[in-house]
Amino acid sequence: MTTESVGVGDVVKRDDTTTPPTNRTSPQVVASTIPKEGAMGERILDVRDFSVDYGWGENAVRAVESVDLHLDRSKVLGIAGESGSGKSTLVYAITRLLRAPGVITSGEARFNLGSNDDGERVIDLVTASERELRSIRWSSISIVLQSALSALNPVVRVGAQFEQVLKSHRRAMSKVDRRARAAELLGLVGLNSDRLDRYPHELSGGQRQRIMIALALALDPQLVIMDEPTTALDVVTQREIIGELFELRERFGFAMIFITHDLSLLTELADEIVVMYAGALVERASARELYEAPRHPYTLGLLNSFPPMHGEHTELFGIPGSPPDLAHLPTGCRFHPRCPYAWARCANESPPLIEIEGSGRSVSCWLHVADANVAVPVELSRVSTSKASPSERAKEVSS
Amino acid sequence: MTDEMTTSVQLGARHLTRHFSVRTPGRLFAAKRIVRAVDDVSLDLVGGEVVAVVGESGSGKSVLARMLARIVTPTSGDLVLQGKPIAIKSKRTLDYASQVQLVLQDPFASMNPVHRMSHNLLRPLLIHGASKQDAPAMAEAALRRVSLEPPSRYLESYPHELSGGQLQRVSIARALCIEPKVLLADEPISMLDVSVRLGVLNLLRGLCDNDRLAILYITHDIASARYIADSIIVMYAGEVVEQSRGTTLVDEPTHPYTQLLIASVPDPSDPTRDTPPTGEHAQIEIAEKGCRFSPRCPHVMDRCREEEPPAFIVGENHTSKCWLYADHDAAVEVALPTRRKEGETATT
Repeated sequence: MTTESVGVGDVVKRDDTTTPPTNRTSPQVVASTIPKEGAMGERILDVRDFSVDYGWGENAVRAVESVDLHLDRSKVLGIAGESGSGKSTLVYAITRLLRAPGVITSGEARFNLGSNDDGERVIDLVTASERELRSIRWSSISIVLQSALSALNPVVRVGAQFEQVLKSHRRAMSKVDRRARAAELLGLVGLNSDRLDRYPHELSGGQRQRIMIALALALDPQLVIMDEPTTALDVVTQREIIGELFELRERFGFAMIFITHDLSLLTELADEIVVMYAGALVERASARELYEAPRHPYTLGLLNSFPPMHGEHTELFGIPGSPPDLAHLPTGCRFHPRCPYAWARCANESPPLIEIEGSGRSVSCWLHVADANVAVPVELSRVSTSKASPSERAKEVSS
Repeated sequence: MTDEMTTSVQLGARHLTRHFSVRTPGRLFAAKRIVRAVDDVSLDLVGGEVVAVVGESGSGKSVLARMLARIVTPTSGDLVLQGKPIAIKSKRTLDYASQVQLVLQDPFASMNPVHRMSHNLLRPLLIHGASKQDAPAMAEAALRRVSLEPPSRYLESYPHELSGGQLQRVSIARALCIEPKVLLADEPISMLDVSVRLGVLNLLRGLCDNDRLAILYITHDIASARYIADSIIVMYAGEVVEQSRGTTLVDEPTHPYTQLLIASVPDPSDPTRDTPPTGEHAQIEIAEKGCRFSPRCPHVMDRCREEEPPAFIVGENHTSKCWLYADHDAAVEVALPTRRKEGETATT
């Protein structure tokens, strides 16, 4: 499958009813600022037209539909979505951790390994061999999973789990050095080195998750993927861990992909957020813009699903209905059966992810196309007042 | 508290306590240790009101709900159902179960997966004495109450055919179909998709307002407690540390734990906010003596390590179990309003 960009106009001709509901031909409009070939520069990850199926042939269910993502060095990309929206599947597929029956059906995921004397080393994770992947995993890309108790080996002491990682990736390291490095890593996440002699079940949930983070940072990766790292934890512990994580990021400068269903958490910590719904990206914007001026009705609904901590008591309604079954997606826009602003076009045609002119943000909604014959509701056309992203704010504070 | 309100107390708990004795794992002959899962908790569930209990995991909030449902036997304390004292050590009676119903966190685990919803819904009806002719109509009426229309469609479906939000509505309908007066909801929304959570919260609020149900809403999410509750109780390590009517507790928290909890909630409306100062996380131990929060408390004083604080009145219908308020204007050491002995009149 090619990854050619397709114009907006091309989408409209898709009116053949023979196309299955999991519309495979739906083109995505790619922001033109990204050079397709050649130097990636500051860009560390560039994912184009990425699709993932579960199962084969007739029964295949499309879990991720033509997703485009990109991430710059030392930035934080947030992926927000409900369960079943494909956010975890997407990152497992990008890192090639996805197991059968999950299949990557199209797309590329170019990862920038940095420059050396021969120039830039870029690798497409989708086509990389097991051997290449082995050299990248953990040392360049590492991942922190939601359930630390099932991610850590329950019958091996914590210290030995650090040992295994260092031993297999840093052959030259001596035993004493490995132990010292493990203790140093625990220190980074605020744990005492006597924890190395403990088994995972002897530690609290927060401590286990800190150990997962320390393990992920063991080999100084350029990109750390966080899959709901704090969802199972209490808010106080969550706040502490997020705080530590950001201190570490300041210090080591790794980029992060942060997956969560908690959009309010994400708006605090991410530079850019993409919102997924039923396997597709519906909106991409900087965190503040997304929070202050959402463009997609689903994003708005999601933001209104979190009761506020202060202000007047008003009744909130969330989003009516429930997320669709991926095997029986509605026609047209996936969100239209639950959307209060849906109009005729929404039920028939699937909207592409289009960049809103001059704003650097994209949305997949027929309300925002130029030739839409319905007015954009006030709540979806607000203007964002603050533009600074968390890392920019941090810079301002430190300077 | 007016007379009218006192009479509509559906379920009252006084000094409810549950201790578990545990051995250190792996040490068979070590001395047993007492874990005070719930210590001296008193509350009143009033018809037409939602009482929210907020706490992190391990704070004893679920044990409290299970004691109120009489699934867990309290170590000590009293329960009063509609003015009648309950013998807490005896077995739960059918009559008690018909008045007090519990809705659990995980709707997928609380439905029998091999039976249709009709089975799951008819069973409690038949157990509680509905006739076979009437039961289906009552089940349908219960489904309508939780906005599942048309009910016949849901009665025919299996648990796996429904979404989490729909299943949680069915489990609320199952609790409601025998017309209880008290609904205990233990984290009813935490397993649900974000977009359907508010629907379930609004449903609970509606049941409370329209049907005068007394609801106990247990949660770790203080924002949702603020949204739904008429009064809020914050628990820490088995104890009530702060409680207030209305949302005073969220708007003006007084206990250092409540302050920490609120500061930890993500709040995108305040982009300039920094991470709150937190206690040393390595010390999430619970003090054996004095205030249980003292090892983590930023305002800890010598007295806190020695003496357990009582609940001080810090505002109207607002109490806080913290020595910081010992010299407060209303410097009277008081029992919590709900801890008042029967017949005593309000002093606030």
